[in-house]
Amino acid sequence: MTRGLEAASGAPTGAPERRFESIPAAARLAAVLIAAAILMSFARGPIAVGQTTLNGLVSARYLALGAVGLTLVFGTLRIINFAHGDLLTLGAYLTFGISALGLPFWPAAAVAVALTAVIAYALDFIIWEPMRRARTSTLQLFLVAIGLAIVIRYTIQFFAGSQVRGVGQDVLTSVNLGPFHLGALQALVLVVGVVAIAAVGLALAFTRLGKQIRALSDNMALAEVCGIDTRRAVRLIWLIAGGLAALAGVLYAAAVGSVNPNFGFFILLGLFTAAVLGGIGSAYGALAGGIVIGLAQEWSTLFFNTRWKPVVGFAILIVMLLVMPRGIFGGGRARS
Amino acid sequence: MSFFDLDFWVGVGVVAGIYGIFTLGLQLNVGFTGLINLGQAGFMCVGAYAMGMLVVDAGWPLGLAFPAAIVIAVAAGALVGLASLRLRADYFGIVTIAFSEIVRYVFQNAAFAGGNQGIIGYDAEWRAFQSWASERLAAIGLGEAAEVPLLVAVWATLLLCLAALRALQLSPWGRVLKAIREDEDAAAALGKNVFAFKLQSLGIAAALATIAGFFLAMNVTYLYPSEFDPSFTFFGYAVLILGGFASYGGVVVGAVLLCALTEGLRFLDLPLSAGQAGSLRFIIVGLILICLSMFRPQGLLGSKAEMQLRA
Amino acid sequence: MIGRRSLLTAMMAAATAAALLGGLSSARATDQVSLTIGKLLELTGPLSETGPSQDKAVSIAIDYANQSAAAAGVPLKITAVSADAQGDPQAALSAARALVAKGASAIVGPSITPESIAVANGLTIQKKVTLWPTGTAMRLRTIKDEGTIFRTVPPDSLQAYALAAALTDKMGDPKDKLLSIAYRNEPYGEGLAKGLVAAWTAKGGKVQGPVVFDPGQATFDSEAQQVVDNNPDAYVVIDYPDTFAKFGASLVRTGKYDASKLVVPDALAFSTVPSNIPPQALEGARGTRGGSDMSTEAYKLFDQLWTKAGGVEHFALDANSFDSTTLVVLAAAAAHSADAGAIAGKIHDVTRSGAPKFGPTKLGEALKAAWSGEPIDYVGVAGAFEFAANGDPTISRFDIYEYKGGKLDVIKQIDASK
Repeated sequence: MTRGLEAASGAPTGAPERRFESIPAAARLAAVLIAAAILMSFARGPIAVGQTTLNGLVSARYLALGAVGLTLVFGTLRIINFAHGDLLTLGAYLTFGISALGLPFWPAAAVAVALTAVIAYALDFIIWEPMRRARTSTLQLFLVAIGLAIVIRYTIQFFAGSQVRGVGQDVLTSVNLGPFHLGALQALVLVVGVVAIAAVGLALAFTRLGKQIRALSDNMALAEVCGIDTRRAVRLIWLIAGGLAALAGVLYAAAVGSVNPNFGFFILLGLFTAAVLGGIGSAYGALAGGIVIGLAQEWSTLFFNTRWKPVVGFAILIVMLLVMPRGIFGGGRARS
Repeated sequence: MSFFDLDFWVGVGVVAGIYGIFTLGLQLNVGFTGLINLGQAGFMCVGAYAMGMLVVDAGWPLGLAFPAAIVIAVAAGALVGLASLRLRADYFGIVTIAFSEIVRYVFQNAAFAGGNQGIIGYDAEWRAFQSWASERLAAIGLGEAAEVPLLVAVWATLLLCLAALRALQLSPWGRVLKAIREDEDAAAALGKNVFAFKLQSLGIAAALATIAGFFLAMNVTYLYPSEFDPSFTFFGYAVLILGGFASYGGVVVGAVLLCALTEGLRFLDLPLSAGQAGSLRFIIVGLILICLSMFRPQGLLGSKAEMQLRA
Repeated sequence: MIGRRSLLTAMMAAATAAALLGGLSSARATDQVSLTIGKLLELTGPLSETGPSQDKAVSIAIDYANQSAAAAGVPLKITAVSADAQGDPQAALSAARALVAKGASAIVGPSITPESIAVANGLTIQKKVTLWPTGTAMRLRTIKDEGTIFRTVPPDSLQAYALAAALTDKMGDPKDKLLSIAYRNEPYGEGLAKGLVAAWTAKGGKVQGPVVFDPGQATFDSEAQQVVDNNPDAYVVIDYPDTFAKFGASLVRTGKYDASKLVVPDALAFSTVPSNIPPQALEGARGTRGGSDMSTEAYKLFDQLWTKAGGVEHFALDANSFDSTTLVVLAAAAAHSADAGAIAGKIHDVTRSGAPKFGPTKLGEALKAAWSGEPIDYVGVAGAFEFAANGDPTISRFDIYEYKGGKLDVIKQIDASK
């Protein structure tokens, strides 16, 4: 039996829990990154490397937080949710809408996050679950996701317009850490992001529900046979995915300062990259994947023209899938 | 004037034909080989740009550049396939879309491909042919709309490709492909080189994408990366599912219907602002996609049984 | 004989018919002219942030023209139809066809050169419909458009000289001065940047970069760092307001940014800085935009109209679209007709060098003069145009402005051809 199922069913396990196994991988990753940073410092100077590292960690936040929901859904339900990026947009725009009614920004954001979580759950109820029951093919799921992405994005645009919207937060205050600088809001995003992901990762590892989710990730049919209430776990997955996506969208909007309805879709591929890189189904993987992509993109500007930044992410994705398709904290099988 | 404008609908016909050729390739991959190819727009980009660059930079005649471009695109398809066909289906899809985006970004940024300025001027020979053909057509009374020669060329090619693919499917090669889609392991057990067949399927799709790209390039007279956005591929999939899974004839029907619908919606006159009208068009397309996928995934001409063979 | 009588009858019938038709056409000349202008907008897709403001610019131009025509007694009524170019040349072509099918006699838009050329080659040249893109590439000059493409935006070459002149004005002799350039990765940015690099190095200056940034990104901190590194003498950032909101914030956060060293082109010219651009990013910065000797009052009127209409804030190049629309209206008045070809033929007559000048504040009088058949020289908000044969504006007058307290203040004018 697979580890997730063992853990969920409460059976005594001889094999170590997944979280312990993942520590060596995390340590290896950290070692590789630090070594790379040191090497680059010889070429470009420690200050440049340090600053770009900070920049990279900030963009890693958006990617990581958005990727967690994606990876959970992909890992358990095998749905390539192309609509996930637009859940980020939804979170941001709901925040604007609610704060236009009078609430200050952050309370409005909290409401928006809750609302998006509920919407994600409702979408599962209306769309995804009936399709699961009918045992539809990957292609159908994929097309529904695309259709949903289009509907969400353009409905937002219908009501809010396609022009850029300022968020009205202070994007200028900078925190100086020696020779490095970091925007205050960006630092906030960093902290909130890490806390959120850690919370999710710990919940997945230690709570009963978390273990059930990991069981689903391994094998849904078998999990049901073991007596796990898969329906409830799936609903929770969507709530978490939707909520985290909304949170990522709000943080992105706050830190970047202005958004338009396309932004979620634009970073969707980056989210996929982070998820796949980190290993599908693993929240820590999403964090690791986000870090690697964020750092790689910012570090690339030290050596290549900045215009190539977006390509770096995709190139890493392809290389990863060819060389290490299970990802850094990999779980599922990747080869057919 | 207005809704029944001839020029407009001839233009829609050209676009429908282009999507038809493009989606024939997708259908071969998805409907007949079980490959979720999300990078078709990338192959089209490679092929179209190859043709454009050969004509403009290397001075080749169009008649030579076009077949050469097909070869180049097929080579790209082979490269992508060799690298990623061993991955499972959804990962393969992600790799192809990443490939498509890389191609687009590279052509947007690289000087050799014209970068942000794109490529222009490769269509001189085509335009000469087009005006010659227009005169002939005007003589028999079809000279009304300027794009009629292009329309005829696209649709003749589309129907030719359709016939060719149908014939291919009935051939021994096609039978093996069907076996692979139904049960890959059984086919492999019977000694068929599954990998080679998948590779060939991808290569043919890349060739079809290039043909579609050629007509797109002639229609628009300007090669620019945003024409090869992944949304082109997504729209192609919408055509596929509308027309019918595993049905080549369905592709033609789907292309005509979907293009007619999305373009015809431009004339929808509601008391909305321009921006809202623009958004509404897309919302309708998205809803159609969702409803089709949920309630009639086999589309108009496909069969449900075929659809569920590969879950 | 039968032949002669029937010949006579035929001749009389023909004469009567001719008189009637002649009478009808002159009657038509004093009848109302109903003009439809097509708006080819970026409503969805990668450039969709420009759509709403372009829409508004053309709409307020049409409203203002209708009011002015009514007040001046000119029987001209203008309406608009719109279509979505979707940021894709293929879709733009289809959208243009829809506009023509809906009765448009002229098309304002699209926003980028590839779309413009696609529309021109596929439709407007053949149908003699005038096209008014806001693309700035040099390619639009050399394409064989048979007099149908006109631009109210200054071509990159002229604006590059204007930027160089603005820089020289600020810091004196360019020789050995380090200029740090950053641009948005798309045709406008690249074209202008190339021209500027050439113009600056020709004068002996040095260039850092150019730093190219992809507009779709979240953060630009690394790129902004590269711009301010090595303490350059000046920076030029070629960008649109939506991305500059983010890029400007990144620049300020580097801690080494001095806004007074910045010079920006016309896409970042607004009478009041939009709310999403951090004020510190532009305070004290200078810039160039198309201008005329009536600049101040023209821009003032434009801003009044803009504010009164409510809705979206200023965005790049909206004044230019306002001007394009007004020119189409004037040409229709001069032609007494809404026929696309007739309008195309009259554009030069309403922008004739040497003819009496009228600015936007005198639109009613301009319309009247055009209607009565006199050639005029209409001076738009973004400058006088006096189009060359290839449809490019020949006047190279530019405003040089400075942002003070969030507001644009014109400090001088230059002639970029010198």
